[in-house]
Amino acid sequence: MRTAVMHVLLALVVTGLLARDVGGADKIRVVATTTDLKALTEVVGGDFVDVDALARGNQNPHDLEVRPSLMVKVRRADLLVTNGLELDQWAEVVVQGSNNAKVIPGASGRIDASRGLLVLEVPTTHVDRSMGDVHPVGNPHYTLDPGMAPAITANILDGLARLQPANRATFEQNRKAFLGRLDEAMARWTTTMAPFKGARVIVDHNMWLYFLTRFGLLQAGTVEERPGIPPTPGHLTRLIAQMKDEHIKLILVEPWSDQKLAERVAQDADAKVTVMASGVGAVKGTDSYIDMVDYNVRAVAQGLR
Amino acid sequence: MRSLAGVCFVAVGLLASSPASAQDVESLKKELEQMRQQFESMKEGYEKAMNQMGERIKALESRQAPAAAPPAVAAPPGTAPPVLAAPPATVPPAGATPPATAPPAIAAPPATAPPSAVAAPAGPPPTATPVSGQAVAQTPAASPNLTELARPREPFSLYQQRGAGQLLFDIGVTGDFIGDLTQNNVQQAQGGTFPGLENYVFAREVELSLFGQIDPYARAEVRFEASQEQRGQSPTVTLAEANLTLMTLPFDTQAKLGQMRNRFGLTNQIHEHDLPFVDRPDVLVEFLGQDGLVEKGAEFTWVPPLPFYVELLGGVFNGDNDTAFGFANIKKPLVTGRVKTFFELGDYGAIQLGASVANGLQPNGLTNTLVGADMKYKYVPDGWQHPLLTVAGEWLYQLRRVSAPTATDPSQTQTLNRSGWYLFGELQPVQFGALSRFSLGFRYDWTEYPTNPGQQWAAEPFITFMPSEFLRFRLVYKHTHGNTPGCCTNTNVGSARIKDEIFLQSTFILGAHPAHPF
Repeated sequence: MRTAVMHVLLALVVTGLLARDVGGADKIRVVATTTDLKALTEVVGGDFVDVDALARGNQNPHDLEVRPSLMVKVRRADLLVTNGLELDQWAEVVVQGSNNAKVIPGASGRIDASRGLLVLEVPTTHVDRSMGDVHPVGNPHYTLDPGMAPAITANILDGLARLQPANRATFEQNRKAFLGRLDEAMARWTTTMAPFKGARVIVDHNMWLYFLTRFGLLQAGTVEERPGIPPTPGHLTRLIAQMKDEHIKLILVEPWSDQKLAERVAQDADAKVTVMASGVGAVKGTDSYIDMVDYNVRAVAQGLR
Repeated sequence: MRSLAGVCFVAVGLLASSPASAQDVESLKKELEQMRQQFESMKEGYEKAMNQMGERIKALESRQAPAAAPPAVAAPPGTAPPVLAAPPATVPPAGATPPATAPPAIAAPPATAPPSAVAAPAGPPPTATPVSGQAVAQTPAASPNLTELARPREPFSLYQQRGAGQLLFDIGVTGDFIGDLTQNNVQQAQGGTFPGLENYVFAREVELSLFGQIDPYARAEVRFEASQEQRGQSPTVTLAEANLTLMTLPFDTQAKLGQMRNRFGLTNQIHEHDLPFVDRPDVLVEFLGQDGLVEKGAEFTWVPPLPFYVELLGGVFNGDNDTAFGFANIKKPLVTGRVKTFFELGDYGAIQLGASVANGLQPNGLTNTLVGADMKYKYVPDGWQHPLLTVAGEWLYQLRRVSAPTATDPSQTQTLNRSGWYLFGELQPVQFGALSRFSLGFRYDWTEYPTNPGQQWAAEPFITFMPSEFLRFRLVYKHTHGNTPGCCTNTNVGSARIKDEIFLQSTFILGAHPAHPF
């Protein structure tokens, strides 16, 4: 028995040691906590990166279950890109279980994509959990705003260039090309959304604030009573009354939210429900960052027409 | 802005001063002149401070990396106006309290961000300039003016000093309270699941947790625990865990040093309040005691770079656990080992498998070896926030050397081979709405006794309600059946061979609590 166990352990050790250098020799192995950050890292890193994401696009990134399979991904990573602002705090548990010193907090293989951004909804007074599962350092859903992409990609570029300084020029070129494409798309999106400036919408979870602000729309309320807390019947009654009073015609929901409930509210308030792409790949046809924003702009515009 | 506030303050002061009728003109003129001088002095002070701040910004900008990134607030050419040009697009609902949030213009960048709102991020975080520290060091020591004197001081300013920029570790408090109802004979025998606390409400565990990074190389975790051992007594405070983890060791290894709940089996490492059932499984209580295996020593882990997850663990400890070991000498230590692996089964299912071993000496110097195997399966359908189904189980096998003196050989020993296991399942069948907060669970226990003959089984259905991630209530019924008379009997007062128990558990979490692993 003891000998058999020893043999198994020895085999694992040898296999592990042999497998140490498996993988693309020149590519930076990057793991991003969300698919948005994966997509943005890919556009900057180009052929020099191999990027994987921990959360799927249609998963709620607030509360991801820490599976050992995530640790396997981080175990092999040279670089970990996190959203920060306490959206993906679960990533710390993944890092602790991955035994990868390259990506522990403070290491050079860490990129906090929120670094240097001016964050919306930073609490200025006391907050506690009577307000629900609040984000105490501000709203973390900045990647949904295409206007934030220049700053996010700048953070990513810095991180990649730290590991491969020789390729900085290439990364900068990739980023510039992406921002050029984003510029063109932004002009299109701005035109599409221009007729709806000032329109009021209801959201399921308060994650569309940056996106709405970018295009001049107003968030009039949330289906959730408080962040992370399911609505009570009283809240829904008030919400429906508010939607009728203010002639609000659109509810934005995420793929992981209770769409049937939103449909019921919409039906009572004579409004529509639009499923938004809460991340790259969250819904069909959103496989790139620009595709995702494109989808969301079209979805909102159609919903408000 | 601050100058304007100063002017307003002066103006208000002027208006609020004593009525002119009570003053002569000369006195008023003198007062006005004094205020004018004070205002000029304040203005000069501000100009001086602003100039110095401007110079500091220039100096810092020249030290930062060149602006590879455009400012976060600046949109690329041809794009929409910057985010900060517009207020956030929220509209407070009618009758609701406005959210306690700042407009974006005063939103602070993260602590590691450059001081200027428009500066681009520079090098890696560890080498980033400690902006806040410099700000303190270089602020000109100007004499306080009226505005500064009017500004709230402690304790109000204390709140402003807290936040993301502070060197604080995470702090959390958990409370776990249990109401225990059972038959009188079980209470008399003190043979319940929580011995001595039958038909009683008690604080099983109130825990203060402190955890965070020590430095770039290590993190620490300290937990103090207050728990009630006997009815009528105040809870006693103990050090539940205090350890550090070295995260940058060579060959991708980690070492955890100090006092810890051992990573032995599936549930030993889980604290009471986090257990997926109300009580520790019978087999663990019988073989490792009420508190489980909590030892002082070191654990080393290695996660080999394989395509699938494998964690190898080895540990060396005192062997303080007096139920299974108790020799308590690091020269003849308790040695533990564990291997754990994990597989995704399609997009929605996942299984974790583990095997553990612990070998140490009992106080009489004879060895005891525990071998364990465990599994955990979860099924989370697409779009669900919680598992629909969780199934887990653990099996433990004991090889304990005990004295078995014979007439010819008084030092003769023999091995007691004993085992036990449990299987647990939990169903959380509703995806959304209020009912999604409920789950139904069931655990079946079967275990032999580590030294006495006989065995017992138990069936434990329960229902859990979690109004939020931080609050949980659980109602449990447990039926235990020991099939060896005398196994659990205090012959003086009663028997607990067959017992029925009802538990009501309430658990809360205040503050920080790390995410739970699979």
